[in-house]
Order: sequence, then structure tokens, then C-alpha cells
Amino acid sequence: MTAATAAPPRRRAWPGVAQLVRERFRRWWQGRLPRSDTVLLTQRNVYILPTPAGLMFAATLMVLLLASINYQLNLGYLLTFLLAGSGLVSMHVTHNTLRALTLRLRAPAPVFAGEPALLEAVLTSPGTARYGIGIKLFDADTSTLTWIDVPAQGQASAHVGFVPAQRGLHELPTLSIETRFPLGLFRAWAIWRPGSQLLVYPAPEQPAAPLPTARALPGGALRGRATDGGEVEGVRAYRRGDPLKLVYWKKAAKSLASGGELVSRDTASAVQQQLWLDWQACATLAPEERLSRLAAWVVAAQRAGAAYGLALPGQSIAPGEGESHRRECLEALALWH
Amino acid sequence: MALSLPNDPGWRLPHWPGWSRLPREGRDTLFLLGVIAWTVLPHLSHLPAWCIALTTVVLAWRAALAVGNGALPSRWLLVVVLAVAAGLTYWSFRTLLGKEPGVTMAVVLMALKTLELRARRDAFVVFFLGFFLVLTHFLYSQSLLVAAAMLVSVWGLLTALVLSHMPVGQPSLKQAARLAGRTALLGAPIMLLLFLLFPRIGPLWGVPQDGLSSTGLSDRMRMGTVAEIALDDRIALRIRFNGQSPPPEALYFRGPVLSRFDGTEWRTLIPSFPPRLQPQAELRVTGVPLSYEMTLEPLRLPALPLLEASPGTPQIEGLRVRGTADLQWLIDRPVLERLRFRAEAHLRFQHGPLQTVLGLQDYVDLPPGFNPRTLAWAAELRRDPALARAGARELAQHLMKHIREGGFSYTLAPGEYGRNAIDEFWFDRKEGFCEHFAAAFVVLMRALDVPARVVTGYQGADLLPVDGFYIVRQSAAHAWAEYWQAGVGWVRADPTAAVAPDRISRSLRLLPAPGLVAGALDAMSPALLQQWRDAWEGINNRWNQWVLNYSRGQQFDVLKELGFESPNWQDLAKLLVISLSTLALAGAAWAWWDRHRVDPWMRQREALLRTLRRLGVPAAAQDAPGTLARRVRERHGAAGEALAALLDTLQAQRYGRQARRHPDTALTRSFAAAARGLSPAPDR
Repeated sequence: MTAATAAPPRRRAWPGVAQLVRERFRRWWQGRLPRSDTVLLTQRNVYILPTPAGLMFAATLMVLLLASINYQLNLGYLLTFLLAGSGLVSMHVTHNTLRALTLRLRAPAPVFAGEPALLEAVLTSPGTARYGIGIKLFDADTSTLTWIDVPAQGQASAHVGFVPAQRGLHELPTLSIETRFPLGLFRAWAIWRPGSQLLVYPAPEQPAAPLPTARALPGGALRGRATDGGEVEGVRAYRRGDPLKLVYWKKAAKSLASGGELVSRDTASAVQQQLWLDWQACATLAPEERLSRLAAWVVAAQRAGAAYGLALPGQSIAPGEGESHRRECLEALALWH
Repeated sequence: MALSLPNDPGWRLPHWPGWSRLPREGRDTLFLLGVIAWTVLPHLSHLPAWCIALTTVVLAWRAALAVGNGALPSRWLLVVVLAVAAGLTYWSFRTLLGKEPGVTMAVVLMALKTLELRARRDAFVVFFLGFFLVLTHFLYSQSLLVAAAMLVSVWGLLTALVLSHMPVGQPSLKQAARLAGRTALLGAPIMLLLFLLFPRIGPLWGVPQDGLSSTGLSDRMRMGTVAEIALDDRIALRIRFNGQSPPPEALYFRGPVLSRFDGTEWRTLIPSFPPRLQPQAELRVTGVPLSYEMTLEPLRLPALPLLEASPGTPQIEGLRVRGTADLQWLIDRPVLERLRFRAEAHLRFQHGPLQTVLGLQDYVDLPPGFNPRTLAWAAELRRDPALARAGARELAQHLMKHIREGGFSYTLAPGEYGRNAIDEFWFDRKEGFCEHFAAAFVVLMRALDVPARVVTGYQGADLLPVDGFYIVRQSAAHAWAEYWQAGVGWVRADPTAAVAPDRISRSLRLLPAPGLVAGALDAMSPALLQQWRDAWEGINNRWNQWVLNYSRGQQFDVLKELGFESPNWQDLAKLLVISLSTLALAGAAWAWWDRHRVDPWMRQREALLRTLRRLGVPAAAQDAPGTLARRVRERHGAAGEALAALLDTLQAQRYGRQARRHPDTALTRSFAAAARGLSPAPDR
């Protein structure tokens, strides 16, 4: 029964009724599985079936048995039964390799759409060492399996990468964990639907459009060139936070002597300008492309070290700097709708 | 073709990096090649030379590719080589069917498949071909030695299989071998159960029996054929007596009785008279029967060579045994498996009709136109007044005397005899072995008008029993004569005894002239050699008794021991199914129990935490025992010292240098005892 859920659809060339039914059944079966970040593998959620090699092995055993009967070879019987016994034991060993393992998912960090997200699964064995465990996305091909061994009473972690296509808050993809150890005659597997969600930012536009021009701080105290008597170009009143080298000491001394305040040079870069990354600024684009451009701008602005704000319809984030600000902006972009 | 063949000038031996520095894949491949070579090795003596050469080259090439990490050859080359090998097989055997060509092709396929190890499926083909190759060895020999060698092969193949399913890192061969060995050992009880209870049935269809004519007695005798088996030192049968063992010279194992002579060949009689006119068996025995147990190697003969004379039909499961008028024991098919059975014999007996019956005429028949000088010599003898009125007994004695005194000698290499073989033997060459003497004796008795026949079988045994079993070898094959005497019946006459009494009385097998090396070995220490040989044969005998001889009869014996009154194969199948189901259920029950099992460390921890909380010590699941000990000391002070010390001990047991694998239950108990002495809230 569980075979249908496990076998990845192979014959895509013929999307017949069987395929449809199988797909429906698979979805139904997966839907039944509870989502959880920690799973203890038990009798209930580990499935096991013979592999094609296992069936081939059974056929070989039949040939050996027939030869033993026909040539009346008692040693042939012994060989056949030894292999049969080993095969049977290997079934239990295969199942035991997965059973009683605890799977834990480390919460994944947000990523941009189109970039690989790495899920880290930590496998803990309460008892003996486990060998040859593979983990992959449920829908992915067998060749993408990541192999790990789990030491006795220890843990090991495996990384599974996948590339989210769309921005937003996504459920993590279903994982499958399988083993064929020791003889490859049986395949035991479990299906794991992690409970965590993954935040996916919009894919940044490539190549990124140039940042919009900054606007001066609205309502900021700014003195024009001519305001100070026109003697020195670009001098203004000292503001908190101006670096000392910007202080125009000659002028400041005079100013202080006359009961005034410190004076700073008013250079272009020192002008506190504000960068607004505005939805309206990219009006020619489709909404998702706008989000991509905004995301690219957020990344660029962050890299340039500028303070920036984000303006989305119905939502705006005041200008700011730093990692948490960046995250806030990207999250808003990811979740905007 | 862009291939690098071993004889290309551009091809060099790859650099050997050392076993431990080989890359994982190369090492695994070399190991698999080693196992394959070991598996093929015992076949060397049955394989044609070209096959040995091809296999060696292919395996060596593959090994070089594995070390040098070279590319595998194209599939087309392999197809071509396979086609050539098939052609060579046909050329060697003139057929592609049968045992020898089959084994040859299997070996070639196996070797070539190693050059095609690309996908996982290819590897599995190699493994399964390997298991099949292991089985083919048993067609040739099922000896202990072969079994041991093949056990190593199976272990090696399983190890390689395990290795290919450990994809992480570089697991050591030892580790993989241990895992494979453990799997096989755990499977051994299932093997034993199946071996004991799997119903043994006869061959499902006829298989070509190669070598049917190569061993054992035969139902015909031509001058020279017995010489072949006289050189054969293999074991024909083993016999163990309950009670006193008779002397070896009294042991005549009666095989085919040959009464029809066409001038060159002796065969079993086709009576020319209706059954009521033929002489009957009429066995008359005296004394206490001698009970014995016999293990018979596959003689590929539809007859049982029982000890003379066995009156009762031996019961052998799966075989219909039928006694004949000339005291042979015939079975319905040639025995291809080893048989073990019990029977009784009387060494003192008489048989055959006391009065003349018409059917005895068949036993004086001689083909016309053969051995004229012998016939003339017999007629001359009849004219001798001393023998004119002599009975069969006197005539036989006269012939024996002639053989003893007429310059005859016993040899295993008398050379070829012509058309009138008896003439040549009796008058000219006067040398031969049992068969010549018996045949000449019978022909002369018939020429003297006395009914006589040739009896073949085995005579004598090795002098010393091994494990109570006397060993009778193929080299003990013998031919003697029987003549009929009125008032007595058939009388055994062994003319060979007249010329080589040692051959009979001491039962020394007459050995051919030993080769130089064998002779030197024998001269070195014959006693020691004999001892070794005896010990080895003892082990081998047990192996035969308990493993190779295990057949349907023994299965039913097992069932009888288990309380089945009249076991049949349905009981066998039932027992097998019940046992396997029980085993499967036990497995399921264990798995269920295992699921509900709590890690013993966890259980101990839970108990400690409960106790500590009751004593007012804050204890969380993640606290280490050392931390808990500190808290106990803080809260209970000196009173809690015992408890804290125990927690420190636990810390060492769990995480110390010599951490225990399982929790110490004594510690858990003393912990509970120490806690009992404390009050929950000392400072309140």
C-alpha cells in the first residue's frame, strides 16, 4: 500500500489515469502525516519493501534451490538457506537502521527566492551505530541523496538543499529518509513533513537597477551656503554626531568667542540624506518585479551603508540601518500582498 | 578504438600507492576482485586453459584499472570477447549445455562483468553470479575442504555487498566483514531450520549426469574395466557393526551378478526360461545375524552392495529395494545421493536350489567360437580318469590347484587382452587380477558342465576402523565366482585368493607402483601419514553423516524424535511453516517491545530526578549529575554528602574516562537508600 506513496513518479511520459490516481493518493497520504520538527522513527512510520535487487536475489535463491534439488546437493541446500537466512536478517537490520532514530530539524535561515536553502537535519541514535542513511527531498531523484552514518549513542547532521521558487512564508518540503544497509535487498524509508516554515525573500533583480537618488532629510535643520555670511562655503551649525574632523575649528573658535556654537563644514557627503525605496518609484513594472527591484535595492543600500526606508502601499518602514532593519524590510517584501 | 589495452605500448603499470592510501573505490574493487579470484580458484582443474588465461588477464586488467583509476573499456569490446569465449567453449566441449561448458561460461561472464561495474545493478549481477559460482563447486565436490573454502567466498561476497551499502567515508574492511559475518551468523538458525525441515524431494527433471560411467562398479564387465577402479582410492562405503566386527576377509559386498557371457563382455542374465523353472534364491542362514549400519557413497548403480548374505530387505526412505533370485538387491533408480541405512547379514549361509532345475542351463552357456584352447583343455580334463566322475566341488578344487601351482601371478597391469582373452590368460600370459581369474574360472567350470557365474562387488575393508566405521574404497572392488553344486546350492569360489592370498585375507589393497614423490613421503613416516589420514577421514566421515547424508530418512528420524508417530512430508512442511511463523512473530514481538523500551540511562535519570525533587532540590532534565551533587550539598550540607557522592560517582560512570555502557542498578538502589535518610526540607 505504501509503495504508491514512496515510488517517485517515473513514467511522466504517459500521464494516464494511474498516474493521476497515484498522485491523488500520494497527496492524501502525505496530508495525513502530522507536521513536526522532531520525529521519532518507530514501527509505525518506517516502511520497508524489497528493492529490485532484492527481487533479483530471490530469483537467484530460487535458481540455487532448483539446482540443489535437481543435483541433490546438500551443500547447495545449505548455501541457499544460509543466503535466505542472511537476507531475512538483513530485512530486520535494514528496518532497525531507521527505527528508534530521532530526527530533528534546525530552523532554517531565510533565503532569497532562487537561492538554495539548506535544511539541516540532526539524526540521533539512542543505541547502536547506524550506517548508510540517505536523506533527500521527497520529490527529488534518488541520486540527490545525502548519505550519513550516525555513531552509536550519538548524532550526525545532514544538509538537504532545495531552491524555493517563490517569495513568501513556505511550508518546508517533505523529506524522505531511507536506507538499504546492509545488503541492499530491502529499502526502508520514512517520510517526514517538517513543521517549521521558511521565509523566502523576493529574488533580487538581476542586474540590479541603480539606487534611486536620495532626498534630503525632511524637516532637518539645514543651513544654506549663504546663511553664514557667505564667507565660507558650506558651513553649518554643529550637529550632534558630526565627526571631529568636520569641525571647522577656526570658525568655531570665533563663533565660541562670540557666544555662538561649534561650526562644522558642510560637505556633500555629510549631508544626512534619506533614501526611500518606494513602490511608486518603479511604477512601470509588474508587482512581483517591483518587489524584486525593491529587494535588490535593500541589498544594495545595505551594502552601501546608507540608511533607507521602505514604502509599500499600505505599509512603510521608517528609515534605518543595520541587520535587523534589513531583515524587517525584506520580510515585509516577502510577505507583502 | 580508443582503448588502452594491456599490450599497448602507451600502457604502463599504474603506480601502487599502498593499501591504506588507495582511494575507497579502488580498494573496494580490489577486494571484490580478490573474492572473485578466490571463488574461481577451485575450478582451475576443470576449466580449459584458455578460460583460465582469459580470466586471469581480465581480473588483472581490472585490478590495474582500479589502482590507476582508469576508464572501463567500452561495452562493444566485452560483447566481442564474450562471443569469442562462447565460441571457444563450444570448441572445447562440442556443446554449450551441460555442467562443464556451463561452469566455463559462468566464470567468463563473472570475469567480464567486473569490467562493466558501472551502476549498482551491475554490482548486484556480480554478487549473484558469485553465489551461483559457489554452488557450481558442489557439483564436483562436497567435501569439508570445499565447504570451508566456499564459506570464505560467501563471507567475502557478503562483505563486499555490505561495503557497497556503506557510502559514507572509508569504512574498514574489517568493519564490513564483521557486519556481514554478524548478518550471516544471525541467519544461521534460519538456515539450520530450513535445512532440517525443508522437504527433500527427488530431482524435478532429469539432468545430464556427467561422469556416470567414471566411477564405481558397473553392471557389465569387460577385461580391464575393474582395473580402473582398482586404482581409485576413493571411498565406496563405510560400515559399522553393532557388536563384534567380523574379520575383513569375511566381508564380501555383493554387487551385480554377471552370468551372461558373449565372448568379450559379462552382463546380467536375461533368463531364457519361465520364472518357475529358474533357480530361486532359497537363502538358508545359520547363526546369529550380524547387524550393521552402512553409509553408501553415490555409486550411480541401480543396486546396493550389501554384505553377503543379507536376508531382509533394508528399509531406505524414498527407495524401493527389491531382492533378486541371485541375491542382488536392486533399487528403482541409480543412487545419486549418499545413503545411510541399517541391515542384517549372516556370514554363514547357503543359497540356491538343492536339486537341478532347468534354469541352471543358463549358467553353463558359453558363446561358440571363443577360447577354443580353453574348451579343449576342459575336455581333456574331463577325460582324466581321476576327474571323470568328479563332482563340482572336486573340479573347482582342481582348478584352484592349477591356478595356485600353474605359475599364475596377480598384477594390476596385465596389459590388453585380445579376442580369445581366456585362452591368452590361461595358457600364455598367466597374469591378471581378480576379474581375469574369476572369468577364467567360470568359463572353465562351464566348459566342465558345472553351472557357474561371476559375482562383482567389494571385498575387504581398511584394517582399522575410523570412528567405528570400516572404510571400503573403490579399490576394494572385486570379482569372484560362484558354482552350483547339487545338494549344497551356489558355492563361492574366489580364485584370486589362490594366487594372491594377501589380497583376500589381509585385505591389503594392491597398490600400483607408487610415484617417486608419493613413495618418498610414504618412506618418510608411513605411520604418521596413516594417522593423519585416519583423523582426517574421521572428521570427513562425521561431515558426511551429519551434513551430506542428511536426507529424507534423517528428516523423518528428526520428526520421530519430536514425537510424530508416522511422519510424512506434510508433517515436515507443517512444522516448517509453524517454526517460521513463530520466528516471524517473535521478531514482531521483539520489535514491539523494543518500541516501548526506555533507554536504561533515561529510566535511572527519571528515578533520580523524582527523588531529588521530593528532597527539595531543584532538578531539571538537562542538569548533569555533577551539578545536581553541588545543589544537594548546598541544600542538605553534610547530611546530603552520601547522596552527593553517589551523584559524583554517577557523573564519572556516565561521562568519565571509563564510562559504563549500561547504568549501574546497584547505584540506583543505594541512591534510594541514601535519600530515605534525608528529610525533604531541612532548613524549614
